[in-house]
Amino acid sequence: MHLRPEAEEFLYSISKEKTLHKGEVLIRQGQVVKKTFFVTAGCLRSYCIDKNGKEHTLLFAIKDWWISDYIAIHTDELATLTVECLSESKVIEFNAKELDGIHTRFPEFESYQRHNLERHVVSLHKRILNQLQLSAAERYDLFLKQYPDIERHTRNYHIASFLGITQESLSRIRAEKAKK
Amino acid sequence: MKALQVIKYGDIKDALAFNEVSLPTIEANDVLIEVKAAAINPIDKGIILGNLQALLPLPLPCTSAYDVSGIVVEKGNEVSHFEVGDMVYSRVPQEQMGTLAEFVAVTSVAVSKKPGNISFEEAAGIPLAGLTAMQSLEASGLKKNDRVLIHAGSGGVGSLAIQYAKAQGAYVYTTTSTSNLAWVKELGADRVIDYKTEDYKTIAKDVDIVFDTLGQNHSLEAFEVVKQGGIVTSVVGPLDEATAKMFGMTDYKLPEELAKASRDKGAEYKFIFMHPNGSHLNEMKTMIEDEKIKPIIDKVYTFSESIEAFTHLASGRAKGKIIVKMC
Ligand SMILES: NC(=O)c1ccc[n+]([C@@H]2O[C@H](COP(=O)([O-])OP(=O)(O)OC[C@H]3O[C@@H](n4cnc5c(N)ncnc54)[C@H](OP(=O)(O)O)[C@@H]3O)[C@@H](O)[C@H]2O)c1
Repeated sequence: MHLRPEAEEFLYSISKEKTLHKGEVLIRQGQVVKKTFFVTAGCLRSYCIDKNGKEHTLLFAIKDWWISDYIAIHTDELATLTVECLSESKVIEFNAKELDGIHTRFPEFESYQRHNLERHVVSLHKRILNQLQLSAAERYDLFLKQYPDIERHTRNYHIASFLGITQESLSRIRAEKAKK
Repeated sequence: MKALQVIKYGDIKDALAFNEVSLPTIEANDVLIEVKAAAINPIDKGIILGNLQALLPLPLPCTSAYDVSGIVVEKGNEVSHFEVGDMVYSRVPQEQMGTLAEFVAVTSVAVSKKPGNISFEEAAGIPLAGLTAMQSLEASGLKKNDRVLIHAGSGGVGSLAIQYAKAQGAYVYTTTSTSNLAWVKELGADRVIDYKTEDYKTIAKDVDIVFDTLGQNHSLEAFEVVKQGGIVTSVVGPLDEATAKMFGMTDYKLPEELAKASRDKGAEYKFIFMHPNGSHLNEMKTMIEDEKIKPIIDKVYTFSESIEAFTHLASGRAKGKIIVKMC
């Protein structure tokens, strides 16, 4: 995308690059959310914690993905998600409200933002449909295709809680796969 | 806030009462935890009965229990590793005892984030028993391929000790009664001995380590089954001399029979007092998230049923941990 110098300058003014270490928490459930993150290296995870204290993974974000708690940002509520860094990562942190409104000042962002949103909706719809109609083993296969070398960064329970299955089931699926 | 308190020593039903008490205040290094679940342990029963008055003189009334899982709701100025909202678990130090309450203040070095793959109720059952298992087996020098006898594999401590020892690559013998054989085997024990029908002394022979969680005759008998130069680690038998010194008993001597058995086998006798430790709990968190250890829960009681929970504990027949959930 070609940017006018003012647009570029504005983009810089609402963002900063950050290097994150493993375990760092960017957004914590229950807090106000002002930032959104674009991943340039590494791997992050967003998850919610249910009333029993168990984690459920919503999303893994690897290079070129956005991550934040968009429910909180768009409804002005407190975070229901926690966003944590799973391995040494690099992100560009943006002020979410200003980034959201950027197209009103610089229309050239409009199509980019729209495209991003479409991509996001597609990926969410696919995730829901897969969850409804595919077996756990099929979902695991798709997951590996979508995030090729993610297993370097994640723990088993992260993946199990993304697929909505128990760790035992995940181990069983892996063992079956290994046999094939 | 509501708390379950020991109001006098004696029978469980007379000794405990639900009281309204003030919210604990926090020091610079403390976090205030909103209790989601607590677990009870034999030591809590010992305190109630007044058996531990000499070792742990407590001003009554005092709130009961040491094990907690919950959410950090406030933190002291010097706490850097935790934030408000963190889900945590802890075996709280003696001075901060009182997890059967709506809130408890705990020094942050005794706290760890809780494992993310288990519930508050499951997490509450880990700290005291898990730290006991881990610290005892570590102090015994447990290593890969060691053969270890763990008594009471179906108890709170034993069920975690079996899994910890297996994770280190040991060969595990354990004792329990007939009705527990199957599930204790599933924890990974290599040979589960039914103490009702079998004599463990003829099965576990020349082991490297005996982990004695039963005491009485078992502490002395351990020297019949431990190998020459092995180690007997107890959490219930007589104190060893070093531990007794720590408690100011300077002229304490190990009971002669035990001292002789230990000399004859060239095998050390160690007594372990578990100690609160957040970084040990953090190691355990990793082992739980990696499924090397899973929590075993016998029964979850509501807060208003806490007294029944203690009666259950006092039966001595717990299968894993007894938990009290706060809401
Ligand atoms: N020193 C320390 O720092 C420390 C720390 C923690 C615990 N402790 C002590 O360690 C002991 C164990 O604690 P815990 O929390 O594991 O207790 P627990 O959960 O109450 O232990 C109950 C279990 O013990 C088993 N058991 C009873 N008699 C047995 C026997 N003769 N042989 C084999 N198993 C038997 C029972 O199984 P069955 O029903 O099948 O008999 C039951 O499953 C307690 O005395 C406690 O005070 C000391």
